[in-house]
Amino acid sequence: MFLTRSEYDRGVNTFSPEGRLFQVEYAIEAIKLGSTAIGISTSEGVVLAVEKRITSPLMEPTTIEKIVEVDKHIGCAFSGLMADSRTMIDRARVECQNHWFVYNENMSVESCAQAVSNLAIQFGDSDDDGAAMSRPFGVAILFAGIDEKGPQLYHMDPSGTFVQFDAKAIGSGSEGAQQSLQEVYHRSMTLEEATTAALTILKQVMEEKLNSSNVEVMTMTPKNLFHMFTKEQVEEALTNVFPAEHPTPIKVNKQKV
Amino acid sequence: MSLAIRPYYPDYSTVPTQHHFNPYADNGGSIVAIAGNDFVIIGADTRLSAGFSIYTREQNKLFSLSGTTVLGCSGCWCDTLTLTRILKSRMQMYQQEHNKVMSTEACAQMLSTMLYYKRFFPYYISNVLVGLDNEGKGCVYSYDPIGHCEKATYRAGGSAGALLQPLLDNQIGQKNMLNVKPESVTKERALSIIKDVFISAAERDIYTGDSISINIITKDGITQETFELRKD
Repeated sequence: MFLTRSEYDRGVNTFSPEGRLFQVEYAIEAIKLGSTAIGISTSEGVVLAVEKRITSPLMEPTTIEKIVEVDKHIGCAFSGLMADSRTMIDRARVECQNHWFVYNENMSVESCAQAVSNLAIQFGDSDDDGAAMSRPFGVAILFAGIDEKGPQLYHMDPSGTFVQFDAKAIGSGSEGAQQSLQEVYHRSMTLEEATTAALTILKQVMEEKLNSSNVEVMTMTPKNLFHMFTKEQVEEALTNVFPAEHPTPIKVNKQKV
Repeated sequence: MSLAIRPYYPDYSTVPTQHHFNPYADNGGSIVAIAGNDFVIIGADTRLSAGFSIYTREQNKLFSLSGTTVLGCSGCWCDTLTLTRILKSRMQMYQQEHNKVMSTEACAQMLSTMLYYKRFFPYYISNVLVGLDNEGKGCVYSYDPIGHCEKATYRAGGSAGALLQPLLDNQIGQKNMLNVKPESVTKERALSIIKDVFISAAERDIYTGDSISINIITKDGITQETFELRKD
C-alpha cells in the first residue's frame, strides 16, 4: 500500500496525482471497523438500531451510548471513533439550539447535517477561527429526524458528504446489511416492520448473539419524537426478530469481518 | 459656603463647555396593521420629517421581506435603512442555507434577536411586522427598539401610535362596548379603518401626513395601493 500510494497519504491537504485525498479515504475505511448501525425511514417515522460491542463481561453496557438525542426532533447514530463523535454531537446540538433561538422553529434535518458537515471538513491548515482538526473525523453518522418534510434519514461520512436515504447501514456489517435493506425496504413499511427488519438484519451481521443489552434502538415519530427504547421495549421488539416467529425470513449475505 | 444663587455668565465660566454627540434622529412616521383570517393589511404614511421640516413627502416605509411578510418601520430613518438591508440579506442567506423561504414566525423571532443584539446601542425604530402564518392566517408582530416582540391582530406604531391604538382597540378589538357580538374583521372594513385612522392622525400629528402606502397580503400575493392625506 505504501509503495503504490507513495508519499501522498501523509498530509490531509495534499491531493495525490490521481486526485485523491488518501487520509479522507482511510478515515472512510476506519468506519468499516466500527460497530454496525442501521437506520430506516418510513412514512410513520424513523428507526435507528445500533450494535454495542461488549468487549468484556465486566464492562457496563449502558455506558456505551451510540444513539444520542440532538434535539427533540433529531437523533443520531454513530459508527467509528466514538471520541470524535462527541465533538460532532456537540456541534449539532449547538446548531439546533441556535436555530431555535434565532428563528423559533425546529431546525430541519438537512440543515443540521449541513452544519455538522461544515465541521467535518475543517481539517487541514488552521485559519483565523483557531487551530483546525489535524485529521478528518473517523465517524459516520446517521441523522434521523422529523421536520416539516416528514420523517427523514441522512447519512454523512468523514468527508462531510451527506445524502438522504430511505434506509442505510454503516459500520463493519454495512455491506451485507445494506444489501438486505435493499431487499426488505418498501415505501409502505410500518415503523414496527422497520424496527423488526433493522433488528433482524443487525442480528445477522453481528458477531455476538443479539440481546437486549448489546443493541440500542430509537424511534422517531411525529407524535413522540425522540424515543429511546428501554431494555424491556428492546426485549419486546426482539421477540419479533427470531426467524421461526418472523413471517418472512430475511436472507442476509453474512459478511466476513 | 452660602446657598445664594450665583449668576451664570458663560463668558466667565470656569467649567469647560460640553458638547454631546446625538447619534439618533426622529424622522417620524406612523404604521398601522390589521390582520384577518386570510389576509393582513399594513399601512404607513409617506412623510419623512425632522422637527418642523419635511425631507420628503413620498418615502415608502414598508419593506417586503418575502412573498408573505412585510415590515413597517418608523423612527430613525438611517437605522431603518441599515436594519432593512441586514434583514434582506439575512432572508437571502436563510433561503440559501435551508432551501426554503423564511416563514413569518421565523422572521418575527429573527427580528427580535437582531434588535436585542443591539441592546446597548439600539436601532431607534418602531417596527411592525405583518404576514401570513403557515396556516395562511394573518398575523401582526410589534416590537420595542430592543427586541420585545408581541403578537397581535392589530397594531398602531410610530409617532401617532399612542394616538391611534385606542381607536383600533375600540373599532377592531371592540373594547369598551356593550352588547357587541365578537366578529372577525373583513378586508374591506380593515382597509377603510386604516384610511380613516390615518386621516385622524394627520389632523393631530405633525409627523404623519402627505399620503399612505398600503400593502394587502393574501395567499395570492402582496397588492399595493396609496391613499392621499393632507399635506400641511
